[in-house]
Amino acid sequence: MQRRTVLIAILALLLLVPPAADAQKPIKVGFPMPLSGPAALYGDPALKGAQLFVEEINAKGGVLGRKIELLARDSKANADEAVRVSRELILKENVDFLVGTLTSAEGPAVSVVAKENKVVFIAPIPKTDQLTAPDKLHPYIFRVAATTTMEGRSIAEIVAKWNVKRIATISFDYAYGQDVTRAFVEHIKRIKPGVEIVDQQWPKLGEADYTPFINAQMAKKPDAVFSSIWGGHFLTFSKQAKPLGYFDAIKYNLIGAGEIASPEATKAMGAEYPVGVWGNSYDAFYWQDAPPAHRDYTARLSKFLKDDAPSSWSIQTYMAMQFLVEAIKKAGSTDSDKVAKALLGLTVDTPHGKLTIRAKDHQANRGQLYGQTARDPKYPFAIMKPMTYVDPTKFMD
Amino acid sequence: MPDLAFLFGQSLSGLTAAMFLFLVASGLSLIFGVLGVLNFAHGSFYMLGAYTTYQIVQWLGRDPGSFWWAALGAAVSIAILGGLIERFLFRHLYGADVLYQLLFTYALVLILSDAAKVLWGTGQLSVSRPPGLTGAFKLWGTFIPYYNLFVLLLGPTIALLFWLLLTRTRNGRLIRAAALDREMLGALGVNVDRLYTGVFVVGSFLAGLGGALIAPVKAVVPGMDVEIIVEAFIVVVIGGLGSFWGTMLGALVYGQVLAFGILIFPRFSIFSVFALMAVVLILRPWGLLGRPLKS
Repeated sequence: MQRRTVLIAILALLLLVPPAADAQKPIKVGFPMPLSGPAALYGDPALKGAQLFVEEINAKGGVLGRKIELLARDSKANADEAVRVSRELILKENVDFLVGTLTSAEGPAVSVVAKENKVVFIAPIPKTDQLTAPDKLHPYIFRVAATTTMEGRSIAEIVAKWNVKRIATISFDYAYGQDVTRAFVEHIKRIKPGVEIVDQQWPKLGEADYTPFINAQMAKKPDAVFSSIWGGHFLTFSKQAKPLGYFDAIKYNLIGAGEIASPEATKAMGAEYPVGVWGNSYDAFYWQDAPPAHRDYTARLSKFLKDDAPSSWSIQTYMAMQFLVEAIKKAGSTDSDKVAKALLGLTVDTPHGKLTIRAKDHQANRGQLYGQTARDPKYPFAIMKPMTYVDPTKFMD
Repeated sequence: MPDLAFLFGQSLSGLTAAMFLFLVASGLSLIFGVLGVLNFAHGSFYMLGAYTTYQIVQWLGRDPGSFWWAALGAAVSIAILGGLIERFLFRHLYGADVLYQLLFTYALVLILSDAAKVLWGTGQLSVSRPPGLTGAFKLWGTFIPYYNLFVLLLGPTIALLFWLLLTRTRNGRLIRAAALDREMLGALGVNVDRLYTGVFVVGSFLAGLGGALIAPVKAVVPGMDVEIIVEAFIVVVIGGLGSFWGTMLGALVYGQVLAFGILIFPRFSIFSVFALMAVVLILRPWGLLGRPLKS
């Protein structure tokens, strides 16, 4: 035989080698996330949370003897783009699972792709009830974020303890704002029938001038306000509300959904922050009464991000990856059907304590941290003090 | 039965919004009126004005006058940037198809917004109100922030200066002449190229100033360029493209319709403004104070 023929024969044999070598190939996880544009402010730390987990699990040898490989793609906070990159990840990169998306527009869109391709998809951040609503639920979609129902109700539980009667709301007029506000209003009326909703303002998403809305709201003389003006929008809102005497008029009885008390938000707003209002956050590096695992996680994240005050968004994707890997372990396989079954009712010991994905709606009993903001000499920005983790298990249905 | 104090406060908030809009929209209208180019990148100049103000405040640190220097510096920097863009890029577009002009200014929007992201990141940035203007006073039962009062006074002042410039100076007469007949003006020995650059510089200055002055009442974030250009465009369409007082009237109407529209249609705050624009476009397609286009 000529040498050439031998070479070709060897090559052909190599191609025929059965997928036993597959066991050494990494498990691929597709990660669509906004990595450019304004939403990258949250998308970047979200990616870092998943990367931290992957680095840790791979250092321990991975799962089922295989390493995890994260394939991040920029979804540009846009549903169409998220769908496009998710399809590309599944069809071209052959990813085994999807973890990711940030906005309530992307999440449900990618869920459809997961359903079509029968690939497990864990959503770490989108909150819209629609994602796991009975008519949208399918075997492959799971969520570790709180829902708009859980967030609205958690806030109603807190406000019910306040000595207030006249409540107003201000929210953006789109899916998230409407859903979370409805959940809040329905729940507070149920648990505290004496309250009255005296005013509801609906500025458009990203409104530049809130003054007319603020004036109109103050004219109704509320004692307390529920707001879901989130993230950077809250900075614009409070800059305009403060000199109008808005916060004084309601004695700082404002509670905000949408992570306005996260370290990122208070840091970015610095001296402009209306210290004294209430808000929530996915995580807080300064959490004193946290489960022991949290302190350790925070230290690792801090080192990974090279930031003394690490992001509060990383925890969501870290947890999502934890659930995925535990499910793979339990299923003993990377087959999406088996992993999806393993996720049902799965309990995982996260840095925020034990969390369970319910079998009936694929939703984790994930709460958030809530508290009143205050200055602390230890930090150059406002923190939540005191701060509590509101467990939503009792009012998820 | 809304009480008078509330109606007063509401109309003042509409007036303040109108002054910001006027600053930006007047530059847009001026450039269109004279150069005949609808410059979509005008909103980007406004955004860069806000970012530059933030940057200069950072450099100057805790100096009490830092905001004023920053606002001035930002407006001047944006004016220079506008001048350079006109001199080296826009100049090639005069007389080209409208579609080319729109595509070109749209490309500028994308380039400038990405440049801002590269320079300042995607986070929200904040500029504090200047010392002395941080508080508010009470008038007829409504709180008026000092800063808003300052903007309320500054708007008409700039409008007046601008109007004097256009009507009482030689350059102003030339600008108005250029708007009417560019070739004839050139034939009469006027350096039209230089005049165009000058107009563009003034227009960009106003956009930069608008951005600088909005910075203390708004988060400085990516996306503010597109937001303002839509609003400024509505203002000039209502008022009449190229009409100076039309822009002022358009801004005033816009501010009031938004402020009172939310009382009538709380769920459709932006609807009232678009409805107004639609009505104007149907009844007077050239705007409230504009002139019908020659056919």
